[in-house]
Amino acid sequence: MANEFELWHGMKRSDIKWYPIIDPNKCTGCGLCVVTCGEKRNVFGYDISQHKAVVLFPNNCMVGCNNCQVSCLWNAISYPEDAEYVRGLAANLSQDELEEELRRKLESNHSLVLQENFK
Amino acid sequence: MTNFPPANENQQAQAKKLWHGVDRSMLTWFPTIDQNVCTGCGLCVLTCSNFVFKWNVDEKRPITANPQNCVLGCTTCGKVCPEEAITFPDNPSVFIRNVVVKYKVYPKVKEDLEARLAKFPDHVVNSKGEA
Repeated sequence: MANEFELWHGMKRSDIKWYPIIDPNKCTGCGLCVVTCGEKRNVFGYDISQHKAVVLFPNNCMVGCNNCQVSCLWNAISYPEDAEYVRGLAANLSQDELEEELRRKLESNHSLVLQENFK
Repeated sequence: MTNFPPANENQQAQAKKLWHGVDRSMLTWFPTIDQNVCTGCGLCVLTCSNFVFKWNVDEKRPITANPQNCVLGCTTCGKVCPEEAITFPDNPSVFIRNVVVKYKVYPKVKEDLEARLAKFPDHVVNSKGEA
């Protein structure tokens, strides 16, 4: 089965440097990063012997998301790149690809369409 | 007693939403789109999986329709916006720290962690148990 996170708007996800890196010396094992990451992507595991979070699936990480990093009060999580890197990737995406993806998403999620448009 | 249908999806979501035990409706965190800067590429709508935005088909622009659906501290739509048209009420790290400290969420986080690992046992790592 193809990994649903294999592509990011037409780009190969594995070519994108965006994933959390945990400094085990700073991690206190609170687990907030683990549960902050959604169940679908579920990037983290938890080492029950060391009582520390571990990154299991870095390429499941949603490009542009660093919710785990901002939730870590001990600054134990870093990313290889910053927001400017993500913005640069986004600016170079194919507009045709985005338009087509948006068309498909709106078609399968009618609640995303502003109701006033139907009046 | 009749089962009334929810007034709308937004109110329904608000009634239930908790962040590690904290009532989401007490907390202010949502994206604001500068409509003068937005070019309507749609990346924010594509990135968000929480139905925070709706798409105005006539104007070809997003609007923030369900602010209470926004994940606390999440700024992903803002980072992928090529125009930097999206802003948030606060610095996300500061915001989360304040909520964590004010509402003392760690006991609930521990419960949530245990529940997550019980649901996804392949995410349990035992480094000492490895040969």
